[in-house]
Amino acid sequence: MTDSTPHLPGQESWPGLWHHLAVYGSSWLVAMLAIILGMFVSLLLGLVAALAAGLSFLTIHRLLRQKAVADQEKHLVDEQLLQSQKLAALGKLSAGLAHEINNPLAIIRQEAEWLLFLCRQSEPLDMTEAISGLRQILKQVDRSREITTNLLNFARRQQPIVQAVNLNRLVGDMVRLVAKETEQRRITVVTQLAPDLPSINSDAPLLRQVILNLLNNAMQAIDQDGTITISTQPTEPEAILIQIHDTGCGISKELLPRIFDPFFTTKPQGKGTGLGLSICHGIIERLGGTITVASEVGKGSTFTVKLPITLTPKEI
Amino acid sequence: MPTGPSILLVDDEERFRQNLKKMLTAHGLTVTAVGSGDQALAELAKQPYDVMLLDMRMPGLSGLETLAILKKDYPETEVIVLTGHASVDAAAEIIRLGGFEFLLKPCPLEEIIAKIESAYERKLARQERPG
Repeated sequence: MTDSTPHLPGQESWPGLWHHLAVYGSSWLVAMLAIILGMFVSLLLGLVAALAAGLSFLTIHRLLRQKAVADQEKHLVDEQLLQSQKLAALGKLSAGLAHEINNPLAIIRQEAEWLLFLCRQSEPLDMTEAISGLRQILKQVDRSREITTNLLNFARRQQPIVQAVNLNRLVGDMVRLVAKETEQRRITVVTQLAPDLPSINSDAPLLRQVILNLLNNAMQAIDQDGTITISTQPTEPEAILIQIHDTGCGISKELLPRIFDPFFTTKPQGKGTGLGLSICHGIIERLGGTITVASEVGKGSTFTVKLPITLTPKEI
Repeated sequence: MPTGPSILLVDDEERFRQNLKKMLTAHGLTVTAVGSGDQALAELAKQPYDVMLLDMRMPGLSGLETLAILKKDYPETEVIVLTGHASVDAAAEIIRLGGFEFLLKPCPLEEIIAKIESAYERKLARQERPG
């Protein structure tokens, strides 16, 4: 059934309206509608674009903020880790220091207590025993002073004073310095100094301390009857090597990684502060070089110092 | 105490060992002194001791290693650890391994004697009430 009822204007159905417009050629209305529709679509697209841009901005902003927070957290964790490592090193140093100082203090206390005990006895004071006690107190005070002096040297951060150093001459001087003690211990010192060794730019007093410490270490490792061989040679690139080999007791594989730790010592109580090698390590690092050790129990140890010919001071 | 405790003193610092032995002997105590953990275990294999004064940091067997072996093989000996560097961790480890007490060097002789007496009393009490 067809709808024959005529539609009044404003009452047309949509298909009817299109038909009416097409039929009656109301092109202006079509144009207006198209413009309105176009504007509506443009507005909609603009809104969508603005929304998308806003969202993108927010996302990028949030990502940047998250990255900044993550960076800050990482920095904090790094700082905490560094702090923990510092505290661990400090704890280790303090434990070593407490042990090294408390032992001589314990003996000083004993000697004083014993002298007091002797003085309170009714019989006359045994002067020989009293003098022995007082001498022991002085000895233990000196031992404590040596520890604190070494510790101060270890902690001091003086900048190296760079000058031309004739290493062969410096090594010869240090060997002569310990000659009396090596003779007493029946230790032969062999020097193998490269004649073509170039002079290096370094700090002579600091290097003297290193060579002396290494020679003392070698003598203590041998104790009596043995050989220390000290050699110098140029090496690549632009560096020189100093090697000190001893035929001493050697160091076990387990202890070798700890040999440069402050207060680490394999020597009997009172015979070493455990600071000599850690001082050497600190100085050589400051002079831009490296110090390594190879050792075998019962056969001896070789300390190898590598130094640059031209010093680039390193702040440590 | 009917008779004094037998004491085994273990310390690698010779002068400290000699002095402490001399001072404890002067106070009427019986002391044997050795310089290492290995020597201490060898001494314990020969005869029992009531109280051991044990240094913590020694070459060879450390104080803690000696204490661990001693508490397994000779649990009846009470151990007082002498140390130059006490820490909470070390103290906890000493007690965990069965040590009676620890003393920080330098400490007064009276304190050492008082700890020896306490340790000996605990040993006697444990003998009277086994388990």
